[in-house]
Amino acid sequence: MGKEITTLGSIHISPNAVATIAYHATLQSYGVVGLAPKNLAEGLAATITNVPTRGVSVYYDDDLLDIDIHIVVEYGTRITTVASSVANTVRYHVQKALGMPVHHINVHIQGLRVSNPD
Amino acid sequence: MNPDTQARLERFKATPIDGQALKKLVEAGLTWLRANQQTVNSLNVFPVPDGDTGTNMVLTMQAAYNEIGNLGHRSIGQMAASVSQGALMGARGNSGVILSQLWRGFARGLHGQDVLDGPGFVKALAEARDTAYKGVVRPVEGTILTVAKDIAAAAEHALKETDDPFEILARIIPAADASVQHTPELLPVLKQAGVVDSGGKGLFFIYEGMLRYVYGEALDAPLVSIQPLSAMNLENSMEAVEPGQDYEVVVDFHPANSLDLQRFYGDLEEMGTSIQVGEGEGMYRMHIHVPTEKRYQPIDYIMGIGTITKVAIENLLAQMDDISRKTGGEKLTLATIEPGQIAVVAVSPGPGISRVFASLGVAAIVEGGQTMNPSTQEILNAFENLPTDKVIILPNNKNIILASQQAKDVTVKQVHIVPSRTIPQGLSAMMHLNPEGDVEKVAGKMIKSIDDVATGEITVATRSVEIDGVEVETGQVIVLLNGKLVLAAVTIEEALLGMLEKAGAVESELITLFYGQDLTATEANRLADLVRKTYPGQEIEIQDGGQPHYQFIVAVE
Repeated sequence: MGKEITTLGSIHISPNAVATIAYHATLQSYGVVGLAPKNLAEGLAATITNVPTRGVSVYYDDDLLDIDIHIVVEYGTRITTVASSVANTVRYHVQKALGMPVHHINVHIQGLRVSNPD
Repeated sequence: MNPDTQARLERFKATPIDGQALKKLVEAGLTWLRANQQTVNSLNVFPVPDGDTGTNMVLTMQAAYNEIGNLGHRSIGQMAASVSQGALMGARGNSGVILSQLWRGFARGLHGQDVLDGPGFVKALAEARDTAYKGVVRPVEGTILTVAKDIAAAAEHALKETDDPFEILARIIPAADASVQHTPELLPVLKQAGVVDSGGKGLFFIYEGMLRYVYGEALDAPLVSIQPLSAMNLENSMEAVEPGQDYEVVVDFHPANSLDLQRFYGDLEEMGTSIQVGEGEGMYRMHIHVPTEKRYQPIDYIMGIGTITKVAIENLLAQMDDISRKTGGEKLTLATIEPGQIAVVAVSPGPGISRVFASLGVAAIVEGGQTMNPSTQEILNAFENLPTDKVIILPNNKNIILASQQAKDVTVKQVHIVPSRTIPQGLSAMMHLNPEGDVEKVAGKMIKSIDDVATGEITVATRSVEIDGVEVETGQVIVLLNGKLVLAAVTIEEALLGMLEKAGAVESELITLFYGQDLTATEANRLADLVRKTYPGQEIEIQDGGQPHYQFIVAVE
């Protein structure tokens, strides 16, 4: 749990809150056409509950923050560049909003969307 | 349009636009973009590591051009496909990926065509827009995407009146420019920063480069450009004072008519150097260095073209003297930090001590000490812009440890504090710095090492007091050993020798004396010689510390 101790008490930031920030940052990254559930079960659950954090998993390892993002990329873009740009954008937005460092961001390409075959 | 340009344009219009012609146009776009690369970079507002939009776009265009540079005769469709392929392979950064998608759409629009005609060009621009928009779930307006959209719309509009591709190209340039200027209205973050979108500006330069090539205009020298006010760097321009240019003149003004930049720069260049022009908040700011006799000339000149709201004139030579006196006549050379390395921030009370810290590899110095504690913000500012996450702070004073702690709490960087209470402790810790090492281990070693050194401080008592069994009268010379009052004496000499005795200097190897700004070099050297005589078995070093209040800071190790 992301935690900060202040003189008045402590502030906890749930993984879900972090995931929401990461989700919206990802959708703004160029080349990303969607986020994908990690597996079928999660996909079903996400469809039913309509959670705003589909495809994003957030873990705290001690106080280190790790984020996994599963994306679908537009066919015909340079995938490595898109992925690293997602990692940069998410890191920037999360750190800006939380004021705490992100340890690792892992970007998984779950698939490609072909809107125009060449 | 002059007759030469007219003739050149006629020649272009008479020749079919095939693959070779496209190659020339792409090359022109690349060259012009590269010439204006810094302008595009300076517009960047999104501080991510790969944020140099201009550089990214140039590298992407370069990759696209490399793909076609050696190709012989091709149809326009084939050549555009190769451009697209090259841009895709070489796409760098967000803007590069979008640019590659624009080329991909452009190529698709021209698929199977031999030569470029008006309708084909318009169709390709529309395809470029559509393809680029498909690449993102939530298109953000006020970016390169918007500019591509406005270009396609302008092209479609132009097609109603002409089907000559060069005429269409000529008409989309002003539309692209207008679109770029409009981006701050669509994207608040741009407006806050007072800039236009960098990617959009880059795209504008590519098309403008093509048109300049058609008109036979120069492509290598960037146009003089106006920068946003926020990007004007007037502080650092101090370093570039040319002999003879003694005055810095800064004028804020509203031009009466729209400013002819080219002429404005030309006129200013006859008066002085280091010219910068910025625009923002509805006004312009001009900055120039001029010789003494011309110091009022820029003001009179600008009076003639508009209304002046503010004038600032500064004597650069006097300022330079001031700065050199502060830094002890030499510029401080701090360690350059690569991303991932450990950066050390040290608090230093005097220029001489700063120099010693710099020579040991400190990356940033914060001025401060006993009577002038730096704020948390000052400490934070010292390391926030260093290109690394790993920071070690040496407060070098017990009153500054807390501010350092607070700086650590408010930053996202990984900060370690080595709680050095004195300058010698800080210097001793610096001996254990390994910039490539594991920051935690390095900090641990540094913390351990601060007890390896004994610190003596010699100053004059400002009030009568009794502490730790030592009675002190106002005006007496007092000695602090490791922060504790141990001795009061009448002369500095007596205090220095008494301090060394108490510190057990006989057992030590090295004694370093930092003399303060209240002592002359001659006096300090005389005292150092005295110490050398008293301690013949020890190595004695004397340094101009330049610290206020303390006649001597002494390290015994």
